[in-house]
Amino acid sequence: MRHAVRALHSCVLRRLQVQVQLDLPLKASVTPVTRWCRRMFSDEAHATHLDRGEVVARVLDVVKTHPKADPTKVTESASFQDVGLDSLDTVELVMSIEEEFAVAIPDAEADKISSCPEAIEYIASHPSAK
Amino acid sequence: MSAAAIAERRFLQQQRCRILYRKALKSVLDWAVHRDIFYIEGEKTRLQFEANRDVQNLETIDRLLFEGEARLAKLQHPDPYVVPWSPGGSKYARNPPVPPVIGLVNDFGRESSH
Repeated sequence: MRHAVRALHSCVLRRLQVQVQLDLPLKASVTPVTRWCRRMFSDEAHATHLDRGEVVARVLDVVKTHPKADPTKVTESASFQDVGLDSLDTVELVMSIEEEFAVAIPDAEADKISSCPEAIEYIASHPSAK
Repeated sequence: MSAAAIAERRFLQQQRCRILYRKALKSVLDWAVHRDIFYIEGEKTRLQFEANRDVQNLETIDRLLFEGEARLAKLQHPDPYVVPWSPGGSKYARNPPVPPVIGLVNDFGRESSH
């Protein structure tokens, strides 16, 4: 019984054919790397700047949730001193912004950020802000 | 010393103090990974800076800054956290973009058949 099944099995498999379709273009072609076959590993290397509205919203959120900031005074053009922060609080706030957007700001640049528009400008022009 | 020179010296000292605070907080964050511990330790660092808030003498401020920087140098973490895709991180330039000159040849070896 088992031999018969096995014989039938191999007969069927020998007879079955799968048609192979070749989709290659007929002409000699050197195509540029098309989108469907490019894998997105190098997104960090490509500049993927964030949308400016989103940057503004997130930066202002970070400023508002600082414990010493006054949320009513936080606007897009406010400086951190207007909001009620002193220089050490500004340092803490810039660190929070770094963590929010997963960027690494060098110390010299971070010292210059002392207002909301400067922070927004820096993040919006950073190529790998997430 | 003239007033402008004094003002400039104070400005440079304030800048040095801010950068020292930033490095101190980052060092604390390297050591205290758990956030609730970091909040407590970060607050202690802040209090150390606040204790010297009202010092006016330029020489004293310079001395305090030197001592602070020396203390911070001893507390550096051996394996500090860097953002992975920033310079010095493990993912920095890991997958650089393919130059557009590179393309796919779909009929390699069969060019003579055309």
